[in-house]
Amino acid sequence: MPEIEFNEEDVLIRASKGDRDAFGQLYGRYIDRIFNYVYYRTGNLHDAEDLTARVFQRAMNHIHNYTDRGVPFSAWLYRIAHNLVANWHRDRSRRQEIPLNDVPVLPSRGDHPERNLVHSQEQESLLRLIRRLPPERQNLLILKFVENMSNAEIGQIMGRSEGAVKSLYHRTLLALRDQIGDQNINLDGE
Amino acid sequence: MTKRRNKVFEDQLDVIEAHLAGTLKRVPLSNDVIQRLHERIHFPYREEIASRLRDWNRMFLVFGGVMSVLLLVITIARALFHLVGRRQLG
Repeated sequence: MPEIEFNEEDVLIRASKGDRDAFGQLYGRYIDRIFNYVYYRTGNLHDAEDLTARVFQRAMNHIHNYTDRGVPFSAWLYRIAHNLVANWHRDRSRRQEIPLNDVPVLPSRGDHPERNLVHSQEQESLLRLIRRLPPERQNLLILKFVENMSNAEIGQIMGRSEGAVKSLYHRTLLALRDQIGDQNINLDGE
Repeated sequence: MTKRRNKVFEDQLDVIEAHLAGTLKRVPLSNDVIQRLHERIHFPYREEIASRLRDWNRMFLVFGGVMSVLLLVITIARALFHLVGRRQLG
């Protein structure tokens, strides 16, 4: 039996013409990635859920404006997510409810099925360091480790060359190493 | 000496990479969350919008309603202006 192939180009055309099912297919394909991206950028599941819904709402409202310029659709979605996360951080810092360093790493909402996601103390420290990095470097680490993307794929999404991504990644590792040293974080767990 | 330093340097970055790989893991999304998110997104059918615009009875009612409310507002405004204006003149 021939397998039904997901033709993104075709699905995008249909979605941009208002086909609800086509948008549903895009939603099913990218919901996981966008949620993970937002989760690691915000640090809590409740806000990640809220922002993810807003990303897709915005994507749906503007999908008729989307034009394929050789950049993958995922890059467009990540761009929306990036903007919404930036707004979220800005609102949060204006309200000054909780300092960014104290953003809870573990979910606070009891009924969330992902509440079992547990990080060790050293992982929490590392996540806090990651969240202090400039947004572009955070994006890079999330795409590389959470999404397992290659430098070329990351470059497409971030609008950079493969070499530039490689270089940025190296500088990010160096920055993390320095911060780990400055804060005496022991990654060996000893 | 330089080779040894480079080796230490590379080892440090390898350790950080290993920890990043262990920390930045994909959070699995349950079907409940996917469904909940799906329900939060409202997607109006274009056909639905178009059919509303083609529904002349409905359009006539909406247009008539808007015009009636506008006339009412203008009449009240004129009446108030007339009353207040007359008092001020008197």
